[in-house]
Amino acid sequence: MSAEINSTHIPKKFETISWKWMRLSAFLLIPLVWFHSILQALITGGHNLSLEYIQSRWLFTGWRIYDIFLLAFAFSHGIAGLRQVLFDFIQSEKKRKITNWVLLAIWCCIITIGAIAIIGGVRMPG
Amino acid sequence: MFENLKSTLEGYIHYRGRGHTAFLLHRISGLATFIFLTMHIATTSTVFLAPSWYELLIRIFRNPLVMLAEIMMAFFVVYHGVNGFRIAYNDIFKHKLWAKASTRRALVYVFVTAFILWLPAVGIMGYNLLKSGLGLFGGE
Repeated sequence: MSAEINSTHIPKKFETISWKWMRLSAFLLIPLVWFHSILQALITGGHNLSLEYIQSRWLFTGWRIYDIFLLAFAFSHGIAGLRQVLFDFIQSEKKRKITNWVLLAIWCCIITIGAIAIIGGVRMPG
Repeated sequence: MFENLKSTLEGYIHYRGRGHTAFLLHRISGLATFIFLTMHIATTSTVFLAPSWYELLIRIFRNPLVMLAEIMMAFFVVYHGVNGFRIAYNDIFKHKLWAKASTRRALVYVFVTAFILWLPAVGIMGYNLLKSGLGLFGGE
């Protein structure tokens, strides 16, 4: 019985990759988000945020790399997760296709503005 | 279309035990985190795209209601992480843990761990809320 289950052939299609992606990115995101939240929300505190604070933080390139990782993995995990939830409600092939394109557009948009800000850094007004 | 929608929603509503709570909480917390994350990236990106907006946004972040919402958000993120770890670990490494009895046992640990890990956020963010949000303990 268990041998039968183990020998089940799972084709390497998009859905299989997406399924695996959710789990593997989860393992990476747990420490990444954890450390980010403890540092930003508990040690620094959201009420202490300022342009000067972000500027001084991004002086160190390591933080920018960290933030790029966080941006890419967290938002992609979120879009893939939202897609799974939406597909529970949307069954027609046509509507799923539209959903995919809309999600891809949102993904491109948010990842782009996030990456531009991390690479561009803080611009002091005045 | 509506038949499918109806059956999906019925699946959500009909309570089927502890695992159902965990499933619903995972979806709700995931959705909340996604919305928060989208706003978080969009607002933070103004430091480059429109720095004068960021100073305005900071004032909104310091609103006591927003600070309270952040504390609730912290629970969602912590729960999603703890329960997500269980799901990913079981799926990738230990399929056997998906058995009904193991799942029921694991979920107690998940709920308790998520709650305990949330407490520092309640303490520290709650203190900040009272101090800089509401002006207690000598805050402004």
